[in-house]
Amino acid sequence: MKIKRRKRRAPIVPINSMSDIAFLLLIFIMLISLINYRKEVKIEYPESDFQEITQGDKNIEIWIDIEGNYYYNGDLNSINNIEGLVAQEIAENPSVRIHILADKNTPYKNVNSIVEILKLLQHRAVSLVVKGGKE
Amino acid sequence: MKKRRIDIADSGALSDLAFLLIIFFIVIAVFNINKGFILGIPKKESTKVVNTKDIIKVKIDADGTLNLDNEIITLSDLETKVSSLLSVSPNLTFLLKIDPEVPFQEVVHIIEIAREMSIDNFSFSMDENLQ
Repeated sequence: MKIKRRKRRAPIVPINSMSDIAFLLLIFIMLISLINYRKEVKIEYPESDFQEITQGDKNIEIWIDIEGNYYYNGDLNSINNIEGLVAQEIAENPSVRIHILADKNTPYKNVNSIVEILKLLQHRAVSLVVKGGKE
Repeated sequence: MKKRRIDIADSGALSDLAFLLIIFFIVIAVFNINKGFILGIPKKESTKVVNTKDIIKVKIDADGTLNLDNEIITLSDLETKVSSLLSVSPNLTFLLKIDPEVPFQEVVHIIEIAREMSIDNFSFSMDENLQ
């Protein structure tokens, strides 16, 4: 009697679920980017060829536009309000990194107001944010 | 003739699209990193004793003109001057007096020079007399 040999099938990797995994990843990353959502204020960044990464574990951003308006984490605020908010933040988290994002054409006196507040609160370091210069 | 059924999952286009979107979001997340200079802020009314020979005083006027010992200089001149002074006195103290009306970009240029040359004692303050 002739015994029939079973035909061996080539192994198949099921890739049908690949798109499901991809979409789950996509939803996950979209949610994470929502947590990191940052309010941007329209300013022209100062330019510098030399720069270092100044991002800390906990960060707050103070924006100053060309007209000298102050924004605390993207929300318009008065200088007095900002002083209170910064003092509260420093009290809660002394190692917080404070970033000053000022328009390149704003007069220095506007930036100085924030520096004076930080001096008064005895905060040790400030980050002046710049963008890479024109190549 | 039998009609061929098209399975979307088999085509792989959907997963390609999803991965492209993932890459897009990862790239966008990188944009949130701030870059610039970290500057130490002195305590209000704090004093520090330094040798007068090791001090370089620079003043920026409202129009961005640089003054070094009452002499107008350019940015590149300042760079050369600072590097020559640094070779003589490594503990150089850089004092920057800023006019209240000077555009912030001009201040950034000076800070850039100081950071590039690794000057540890860098101090900047606004010229209160002009306010």
